[in-house]
Amino acid sequence: MRLHTASEGITLAKKLENDSAKYYEEEAERLPEVTELFHAFAKENKRNVTYIERTYYGVITDAIEASYCFDLDPSGYLLDLQFPDSEDIRVTLIEKSLEIEKLIITFYTEAAEQSESLMADIPRAFVLIAKKRRRRVCQLEGLLAELQSCTYELNSRC
Amino acid sequence: MAILEEPIKEVKTVKNYIGGEWVESKGDLVDVVNPATCKTIAKVPISTSEELNKAVEAAKDAFPEWRKTPPPARSRLLFRLKELLEENFEEVSRIQTQEHGKTIDESRGETRRGIENVEVACGIPTLMQGYYSEDVASGIDEWVIPTPLGVFGIIGPFNFPWMIPLWSAPYAVATGNCIVVKPSSEVPLSQDRLAELVEEAGFPPGVWNVVHGGRSVVSAMLDHPEIEGITFVGSTPTGRDVVYKRCGETGKRVIAQCGAKNFMTIMPDCNVDRTIASMMTSFFGNAGQRCLSAANCVIVGEDAAFYNMFVEKVVAMASKIRVGCGLDESVQMGPLRDRTKKERVMAYIEQGIKDGAKVLLDGRSPEIVGGYPEACFLGATILKDVDPNSPVGSEEIFGPVMSIMRVRDLDEAIEIANGNPFGNGHSIFTTSGKHARHFQYSIESGNVGINIGIVAPMAFFPFSGMKDSFFGTLHTQGREAIRFFTESKVVIQRWF
Repeated sequence: MRLHTASEGITLAKKLENDSAKYYEEEAERLPEVTELFHAFAKENKRNVTYIERTYYGVITDAIEASYCFDLDPSGYLLDLQFPDSEDIRVTLIEKSLEIEKLIITFYTEAAEQSESLMADIPRAFVLIAKKRRRRVCQLEGLLAELQSCTYELNSRC
Repeated sequence: MAILEEPIKEVKTVKNYIGGEWVESKGDLVDVVNPATCKTIAKVPISTSEELNKAVEAAKDAFPEWRKTPPPARSRLLFRLKELLEENFEEVSRIQTQEHGKTIDESRGETRRGIENVEVACGIPTLMQGYYSEDVASGIDEWVIPTPLGVFGIIGPFNFPWMIPLWSAPYAVATGNCIVVKPSSEVPLSQDRLAELVEEAGFPPGVWNVVHGGRSVVSAMLDHPEIEGITFVGSTPTGRDVVYKRCGETGKRVIAQCGAKNFMTIMPDCNVDRTIASMMTSFFGNAGQRCLSAANCVIVGEDAAFYNMFVEKVVAMASKIRVGCGLDESVQMGPLRDRTKKERVMAYIEQGIKDGAKVLLDGRSPEIVGGYPEACFLGATILKDVDPNSPVGSEEIFGPVMSIMRVRDLDEAIEIANGNPFGNGHSIFTTSGKHARHFQYSIESGNVGINIGIVAPMAFFPFSGMKDSFFGTLHTQGREAIRFFTESKVVIQRWF
């Protein structure tokens, strides 16, 4: 079933933030060398939830089209939060985090576009969160490149 | 998606809040029924006129000290109230949905609109300042002091149980007056919870009183010699023929905000998709039970292709509206407040059909999400070829019914709207600044929307209204409310 109301859109945004925060907290435990990064991601997710709630509760009024502002298919934003079982767990975990981030960016971008002129401030909040997450993508891609080059070097030596 | 938890789980017997005490009424109790589930959620008293007298007495007793309380101190209490309203935002929103039926987004919107009025009233130290002229003649100075009057009565309607009393109450108490609020007996729980938060905020006993009841309480308020003024929101017959008239007879100030028949003018140059989303909210939001709901959709121009395409899209979107219990987040339209209101709307639809309107979408047997009893539910109904002079085209229906009319040009659209006795919230959808300006200039409407479907003014602007939609001089909200709740005392001074 597609999502149309502001309440549904906000609930989904909060779910994506909370679920991924929980995942990153666990990831931080599994990757001690980058524990700070993933703890920081989880912390920022919680701030995003506060920001989303504050924005929504601050602007929701009967003058905006709250019941008709989205046309989202929630099945398109299902996060795979199972921890992989792999030999090179580090690379796989970072790749997975990248997938999570890209999917959440897609959600925020699409939701912001759909509600652009119907929902005061909420699309702007979504765009800002997507922008923050693009920075995460750069960080994760850098980390992945670093890990892959280390792996390559190790394999070459063998 | 999620169905939110109901905040009211047991049937509560509502009490009056008089002089800082929760007092059981001696009046008969009537059921408050959740229109979505048809379950009784509370019992509300039809208070007696003696109980109203006690509330007025308590307010009168509290007035001298409250008036002396400096505006910054009154403001601090309002700030505290605002904090409590924010802390309890979700709970009070769900109460509104439970007692009224509206969707959770609509209730949250109503909560926010109410809080905004408290925020504006927090500025009372500056809002209540007078003005001063030195040397109006040599050595003579003159100034004006806005002063509170005493006790005010606030009469709320059923359609916005939380917000509408807050169009008046924060300004009344901020200016140093004391109040007696009479919520609608159909939806008393929002104001009951608000009074609890007022008490928690620390307002002195007697400043803010709540007396529940029906017509007899309203009547006693209108006749009470110690009540200086009344704010009322409700139907035009009651507002004009009872409230406005009686307040005139008894020498009270009055704001009577009444019925409406709002016209939405659609220009062929409008942004079609955005316009249609706005139309859904405007015509069908709150199940059409809103004095700012659009009722008549006037499509301008002789371009048959545009007309057909536009109408087809409107019908397609309206036919997908999810109807059900407002606590289901996916629901886009809740029930009517009660069965009688639904029957009244159905009668209008039937009358419209008899008068020659064609049904494009029939909401009389809606599909209800979640299998709730159909007692109070209606779906969106769209009629076309509606005569603007017929009952369905000219009278307030207060339900989810869109009447489509077609006119040659913008002037004809304005003429039709201005020919209607109401003037509350007309709007135009266009991408032309010229059309928008011409409409705004010529339309006889207290609130005007340009690409806005629900023309609800923010708390720092007056909630206006013209013709049969408003009786009085000043309006609720913002600076006009400050003027309404104060008398101008002018001092002229000379020293020898």
